[in-house]
Amino acid sequence: MSERPEHWWAPLEVPTDRILTCRLGPLALDIHHAPGEWRLLHRHDDDEADAPAEAELAVAVGSIDDDGADRFMVADPDPRLTLVPCLLDRPVVIRPRQPVFLPQGEAITLYVSTPVVVAVRVGAGDRLLREIPSLPLSDTWFGSTTREGELCYSGRTRARHLRAELPRRAHRAVTPFQVRNEADTPLPLDRLSLPVQMLSVYGAADGGLWTEPLSLTRGGDSDLAALDVEEDAPEFAGATERLSGPREPRTSGGLVRAFSELFGDRP
Amino acid sequence: MSGVLEVLANDTFAMVMRAAFLFALGVVLAPLCSRLVTRFAEDRFSAHHSQLMRRLVFYGVLALFLASALRELGFSLGVLMGAAGVLTVAIGFASQTSASNLISGLFLIGERPFEVGDIIRVGTTTGEVLSIDALSVKLRTFDNLFVRIPNETLIKSEVTTLTRYPIRRLDLALGVAYKEDVDRVREVLLEVADRNRLCLDEPPPLFIFLGFGDSALNIQFSVWAARENFLPLRNSITAEIKAAFDAADIEIPFPHRSLYAGEATKPFPVTVVDPDRRQDD
Repeated sequence: MSERPEHWWAPLEVPTDRILTCRLGPLALDIHHAPGEWRLLHRHDDDEADAPAEAELAVAVGSIDDDGADRFMVADPDPRLTLVPCLLDRPVVIRPRQPVFLPQGEAITLYVSTPVVVAVRVGAGDRLLREIPSLPLSDTWFGSTTREGELCYSGRTRARHLRAELPRRAHRAVTPFQVRNEADTPLPLDRLSLPVQMLSVYGAADGGLWTEPLSLTRGGDSDLAALDVEEDAPEFAGATERLSGPREPRTSGGLVRAFSELFGDRP
Repeated sequence: MSGVLEVLANDTFAMVMRAAFLFALGVVLAPLCSRLVTRFAEDRFSAHHSQLMRRLVFYGVLALFLASALRELGFSLGVLMGAAGVLTVAIGFASQTSASNLISGLFLIGERPFEVGDIIRVGTTTGEVLSIDALSVKLRTFDNLFVRIPNETLIKSEVTTLTRYPIRRLDLALGVAYKEDVDRVREVLLEVADRNRLCLDEPPPLFIFLGFGDSALNIQFSVWAARENFLPLRNSITAEIKAAFDAADIEIPFPHRSLYAGEATKPFPVTVVDPDRRQDD
């Protein structure tokens, strides 16, 4: 066994003929450094609730002989391996388990978490072998009709509003989402499309993963809302390190959307 | 002799030269214009439309300069057009089918029910559109056959574009035995849909109790998928439903026949045979 890294995303050394066994939430990932190649084998638990909250990593002597393993031919024998947390490539539709309403004039910060994708990078050039989602999410459609809309991932979360209540889960990145309702009617927060492909992942010293905070204000006269993305990790996360950038560039027009596009239409 | 030369030099020769110059100018300008149009249309219109515009501009400019050249040579354009009109009618009668396909092609281009790369179903043929041409549309079917469908057929018949919208619904017709609890069947089906990752959460799966069939309670269960996942979902969810029904002891019945001999006739003679003895025979 080699030394345990401080965080699961820190660079590791997996010399030839060693195997890295990684347990990250529901994802069990084995990476074997064979001579001239890397072998990857992964599987997911059926139930996320039973998965361990902390990441477990161990490097040991061993090999993968399973036929189901993917093989990546890399001539460079450099033992360096990094597991980089990234966010998903499509928006995640969050449906809180209980209905949440925001009355007129209220503002709230919701903490929503989304499972990260693990990018396996090896060698001095940090070459990408594969991206593996820590939790495979089901597809969903987000749009007012079946003709217009966007294919998204479906995530279920409690959408907590107290930071102290946030459970620590190594495979999920938390996005603080501030919503302010300045309209005359209560705002139902029953569906929310989180544009994770435009967000970065930050690693905090305590092992937590965060994204840039989002803020959204629903105006009184218009149904259009401007979605602001802050440039850095939330301040309360303390000292953070930027681990991966957004997949899609943030366009100024792309973040101004109709409320119905962000929260879905109420029947 | 000198007079003839003079005439040639002054009138006819100059006329021919002017006409030749106009024609040459047309030959040079037409490709230039069409190239300009291509550059303009490439990013703004579909590949098919920009190709059409390029051709129109090329032949239009060429025809304009050719007409001017002919006019320089002293031809009356009115007479020429009249002759062309008569010729068109004659050709039109002679090639009715082609003309009809040509006109249908124009309608298809205008209406745009599908584009190159879409998957369409015409009658019993389903395939990917390779090209939309003046006379016909070319398809590649999934068993890799090349199919040419005349434009007239497409205009007249029902065409289904399978790749128009990003999501599709899969309708499953199911039957469960009369003894089963419909609410429980519904629960099992919704759970199967929830567990299948290809099945969309929204729009939600649809459960419709169709009615009392001959030997089963008929149910329609409809689930949504992204169009590229339609086939994988169709294969996975049917297997999962069967497994879930088996696990929950829900019976999928097959048609039963009960035979009654009636009062007037004697009962059917039934012989019980020992299966082991029967195999030995």
